[in-house]
Amino acid sequence: MKVQVRNIETVAIIDCAGDVDLYSSTSLRETLLSLMRSGTPSVLVNMADVTYIDSSGIATLVEGLQLSRETKTHFGLYSLRNNARSVLELARLNKVFAIFINEQEALEKIATTLPFGGL
Amino acid sequence: MKIVISSHPKLLHILRGVVRYRAHMAGFPQSDIDSMAMAIDEAAANVIRHAYKDRRDGTLALEILTLPDRMEFILEDTAPKVNPEAIRSRSLDDVRPGGLGTFFMNSFMDSCTFDERCAEGNRLIMIKFLPRKVSTSDEGTSQKH
Repeated sequence: MKVQVRNIETVAIIDCAGDVDLYSSTSLRETLLSLMRSGTPSVLVNMADVTYIDSSGIATLVEGLQLSRETKTHFGLYSLRNNARSVLELARLNKVFAIFINEQEALEKIATTLPFGGL
Repeated sequence: MKIVISSHPKLLHILRGVVRYRAHMAGFPQSDIDSMAMAIDEAAANVIRHAYKDRRDGTLALEILTLPDRMEFILEDTAPKVNPEAIRSRSLDDVRPGGLGTFFMNSFMDSCTFDERCAEGNRLIMIKFLPRKVSTSDEGTSQKH
């Protein structure tokens, strides 16, 4: 799995690519939590190229969601593939995260989300 | 067929790949193939985390049986016995990291049971039935087992 960070103004975008599982979720976790702890105002996870996500990957996103409440970070996900969307829906987490259709919508709306991910 | 790997998380993708291939060959639809791969991945991840306690020198053996109406997956390890109650899923209303692996296994498989007769280690048997083919006489009836 590849994890890369780019910045658009005050928004940090984590581009994730590949399978997010027990092994690879560690690098996503480190990146996500590090950005929030460093005071980044808004953090988005681009999941367009995430081919698979398991419960440890979801746990990482939930951990980010919880930390975003403490750090007052605007946090969201976008461009989910069907498999990731289905898994979040099954776990009833699709209403817990701020989920956007694409990067454009995410950048337009992330600043108006509550600072813990929810819309 | 039987595949044996060490209890290293970086090898989980191998199990997913084998399960996907075998399920595809057995005629499962893509949605079931993805679900079954995830269920096996979650089961193996549970073994690594809870049975081997993140030790990477243990072994995981996955036996895959393709039968006319179903696939059976038998996951064996040589770790100390785990209490299935200790790894049960959390309530979905309790939003916190973790606790979803068992939930996904039970959601995606038709049956997940620990073989209590296993003297040493743990033996988990997971079963997924093939969707019934719809024939003229079946129209209007449920396809779920």
